[in-house]
Amino acid sequence: MSEKKKQSEDELLEKVTSTEYKYGFTTDIESDTIPKGLSEEVVRIISSKKNEPEWMLEYRLNAYKTWLEMEEPNWANVNYEKPNYQDVIYYSAPKQKPVLDSLDDLDPEMKKTFDKLGISLEEQKKLANVAVDIVMDSVSVATSFKETLSEKGIIFCSISDAIQEHPKLVKKYLGSVVPTRDNFFSALNSAVFSDGSFCYIPKGVKCPMELSTYFRINEAGTGQFERTLLIADEGSQVSYLEGCTAPMRDENQLHAAVVELVAMDDADIKYSTVQNWYPGNDEGVGGVFNFVTKRGICYKNAKISWTQVETGSAVTWKYPSCILKGDNSIGEFFSVAVTNNFQQADTGTKMIHLGKNTKSTIIAKGICAGKSNGNYRGLVRISKGAANSRNFSQCDSLLMGDKCGSHTFPYIEVKNNSSKIEHEATTSKIGEDQLFYCNQRGIGTEEAIALIVNGYCKDVLNQLPMEFAVEAQKLLEISLEGSVG
Amino acid sequence: MGLIENLKSYSEEIQISDDKKDLLDSFLSNGFPTTKDEEWKYTSLKKVIANEYNIENKGQVVDDSVIEKYSLGFENQIIFSDGKLINTPTIKGVSISGFSEFESNTNDSILDLNKSLSQNGFTISVDKNTVVESPIEILFISTTETNFSQYRNLISIAENAEVKFVERIQNLNNSSSFVNNFTRINCDKNTKIEYNKIQNNTSESQLIDTVNVYQEQDSTCDINTLLFGGSFTRNNLNFEQNGFNCESNMNGVSVLDNNQLADNHTFVDHKSAHCRSNEMYKGIYLDNSKGVFNGKIMVRPDAQKIDAFQSNNNLLLSENSSIDSKPQLEIYADDVKCSHGCTIGQLDADALFYMRSRGIGVEEAKAVLTYAFASEAIENISVDQVKLLSKKLLAQKLNVELDFSV
Amino acid sequence: MLKVKNLKAGIEDSQILKGINLEVNAGEVHAIMGPNGSGKSTLASVITGKEEYEVVEGNIDFEGDDLLELSPEERAQKGVFLSFQYPVEIPGISVSNFIKTSISEQRKATGMKPMTTKDLLKMMRDKMELLNIKNGYLSRNMNEGFSGGEKKRNEIFQMAMLEPKLSILDETDSGLDIDALRIVANGVNKLKNKNNATIVITHYQRLLDYIVPDFVHVLHNGRIIKSGGKELALELEEKGYDWITKESDKKWD
Repeated sequence: MSEKKKQSEDELLEKVTSTEYKYGFTTDIESDTIPKGLSEEVVRIISSKKNEPEWMLEYRLNAYKTWLEMEEPNWANVNYEKPNYQDVIYYSAPKQKPVLDSLDDLDPEMKKTFDKLGISLEEQKKLANVAVDIVMDSVSVATSFKETLSEKGIIFCSISDAIQEHPKLVKKYLGSVVPTRDNFFSALNSAVFSDGSFCYIPKGVKCPMELSTYFRINEAGTGQFERTLLIADEGSQVSYLEGCTAPMRDENQLHAAVVELVAMDDADIKYSTVQNWYPGNDEGVGGVFNFVTKRGICYKNAKISWTQVETGSAVTWKYPSCILKGDNSIGEFFSVAVTNNFQQADTGTKMIHLGKNTKSTIIAKGICAGKSNGNYRGLVRISKGAANSRNFSQCDSLLMGDKCGSHTFPYIEVKNNSSKIEHEATTSKIGEDQLFYCNQRGIGTEEAIALIVNGYCKDVLNQLPMEFAVEAQKLLEISLEGSVG
Repeated sequence: MGLIENLKSYSEEIQISDDKKDLLDSFLSNGFPTTKDEEWKYTSLKKVIANEYNIENKGQVVDDSVIEKYSLGFENQIIFSDGKLINTPTIKGVSISGFSEFESNTNDSILDLNKSLSQNGFTISVDKNTVVESPIEILFISTTETNFSQYRNLISIAENAEVKFVERIQNLNNSSSFVNNFTRINCDKNTKIEYNKIQNNTSESQLIDTVNVYQEQDSTCDINTLLFGGSFTRNNLNFEQNGFNCESNMNGVSVLDNNQLADNHTFVDHKSAHCRSNEMYKGIYLDNSKGVFNGKIMVRPDAQKIDAFQSNNNLLLSENSSIDSKPQLEIYADDVKCSHGCTIGQLDADALFYMRSRGIGVEEAKAVLTYAFASEAIENISVDQVKLLSKKLLAQKLNVELDFSV
Repeated sequence: MLKVKNLKAGIEDSQILKGINLEVNAGEVHAIMGPNGSGKSTLASVITGKEEYEVVEGNIDFEGDDLLELSPEERAQKGVFLSFQYPVEIPGISVSNFIKTSISEQRKATGMKPMTTKDLLKMMRDKMELLNIKNGYLSRNMNEGFSGGEKKRNEIFQMAMLEPKLSILDETDSGLDIDALRIVANGVNKLKNKNNATIVITHYQRLLDYIVPDFVHVLHNGRIIKSGGKELALELEEKGYDWITKESDKKWD
């Protein structure tokens, strides 16, 4: 490398690493100086490290007080060892991921997965945090991206930035969809959230590209307590992608994120998630606990679609929901949740119909393999004033082998008799018989599983933005390898 | 006085074997089932058994014009008039005769009553490898007023045989007669039977109709119930699958109005592996009518690879109609596929409006949508004449003049 | 074409096939009959490679290849076809997609060019007509919600599309009514030619009125205890199995 080039790379390296420290993450405040555990003092430290205004600190303190009064929920169908909340570090410097010299230094398992997923070498380097080249790439790509957005008045930045630069917006909408008191984890998150995305789409603007967390300049690492707030003003439209298909390892056991979506009159938000937390080893040890509260509120004629493909994490507890407040609003939920080995998933959705002529669609596909347990828990609530509303729910389970289990708990509460509810649930099984049948027709086992899983999930995969869909498909195939017999 | 008293007096007059007398006495002391019995929870027999009944019948022989009126015109007809067998067809490979003694095989007080007192019914046996091309029509016609009658029938189908039936029970007067009908069907290996029941009796008539089917391996049995008439109808269909690869199919269409009550109880006992069962019951309820559906599916521990499907869809066309629906699954095997669905709703207002905006009158529009609703079950009937009759009766009950002959 | 020599196979601790010898040549139809539990389906499963069965002795030669060395899909690609006694449901794959994949795998394995969609669709329609299968069938998911008869017809449809060298029909006629039986038999007969062979496993003699066998073998307790021409089937129909099985039991006890 020429001297000159190296110099500019050094500059960039400096620039990027220093932005990570922008909000007071100076070198002497390493994680080892902050005591473990959660207390009012820790909350204050977090807020001051981020240089937050008074109102934000108060919000956090109120949330902390509320959290103290709450009890962790007990779910009959999910068994896990409850994390010791005093044993968690609530503040740590944004992860300094070890910088590798080249892809050869990467964990061979990881490399194999990257290859299988068809992730380009460049992308692999970025994800593995290989030195220098990518830093340049991400800065340059991200910069041009940001320019396009600002032309349209679209704000897309980290929530920490937003608290500083757009306090009015944040103050107005933060906690408006998921109040602090909503549940144990939302209270916790409201007190100690580290970072997340903030997005605002002005009136009538259709965001020209898919917004992806991938492109946030801020570190693409996984925050323990991510907080995301997405506001689509009247008549606007946005498609947001979260997560990536590469397996995400994390030492942090507990992840309790909160995502709030606000769709004003006539707005349209599409929120897609592809998450592949490292589920730990074959025994399920070392996996991630993923407790997420995701909710959107729709005003008149607005629409929110949640699409997710989830594989991984040891325990998942997640119910993306829609409050259909405005008349004629639409809520959609498309999901494929895969559990393997010893994983447990309790996921589903809540559609709350408040306005008239509201419509919701739920298509939830669970795939269970190994000794895992997959649960779908769905609530469709039609309130008294929700005249003429409609819901269609389809929950399907695909069992691979015969040691896994799947359960469905649909709750349908109807207080208005002009509504139409349709609920369908099916279970199917892929066992040795099905595979032998395919073999006897000349189709190999791996190919057969791929065919079957893709056919089964196509309704959901079709909802994902293109680039994600292809990766998601491959991800499904990989996560189910060796799952039968 | 009521039916129990009527039966008591009758039992003192007649000559029956000691076994039957014991059975009858035991029944009379326990009485008819009440709503405290699980199987009769939603359906009360109180009013039915409070009436006065003639246990004896007139013994009249109806003439051809009557038969023609209620027949669907099949060549092979088995006709009962006031309990007496007045016509037996000659069919190659099939023996047909009147009443015979045989076991009910189930724990059911109504069947005990039937066993103790019935003297009328048919016995049909189809020989091995016989394929009966044309459906066999069975008519039970009764002239006696407020008659309580019981029929006890047996059908045995030997290996590889195939046969179809169309049965109808008809009162000729509008009195509140009560029929307790029992049919036992024995299906040997690899047989196929379709049994269609047309239940369009007079508006005061009452019926408890039980069919017990015993299936050997590779056999298929379809029972289709078309319920349009009668003030009180209770159907019990019980299937016992005793061999691999059996299939039991049930289709039901009930269209009720005024104060009619229809209760369809089904039970499939999957005892062997690789079998299937399919139920599709559609109910349409007008006025103050009431419907009850109870579908029970049992899958025994060794009955792996069962595919059971049950669906019950109901249209409530009036504020005062009601329905109680209970699917019951008892599954003891682990490699089984069972699905059941139940819907209760009204006609689609948008669809109605659409049709009216195209000039179709509201009653006709309702009829078309209602027909569309019921048609899925009707389509599963293979005998064209029965299909056509269903469509006709449906149009009649909905009070429209639509031609559903397509 | 197929040479089964002294085949002994079983599952876990029980031996089901106790020394089967069978030779099937091109152009022939062999019927295998026997009471329930005689090992008929086991024989079909072992020839096609179902893993749960363990072969303890003997070999199976198919056109020069040792079948026991090949995986089930390899055997299929060599031209062995099994019409299953209990075809399974495969959720999420439509009939057309399944057959398309099956054919393209066969062609890949034998080095043939893949079939164009146009040709494939035409072939499917022709075979559907041959087997009196209605439209809309192709887009249904494999065997999902199919009646027993429809499942068996689906098997024969696949056979028609894959054009195998050796077809093993395992109780294809069980549960079929006479009309469906005629159509299936008709289909099988039309596909018969001097280069392929068929093994028909059946419980009911009735099928053999329509698919006339060249050889009939009686399987009992894991052995072929008697072989003959088509008259043997008629004798069995009249007399049942006892007269042969009693003789055989005496011999083997």
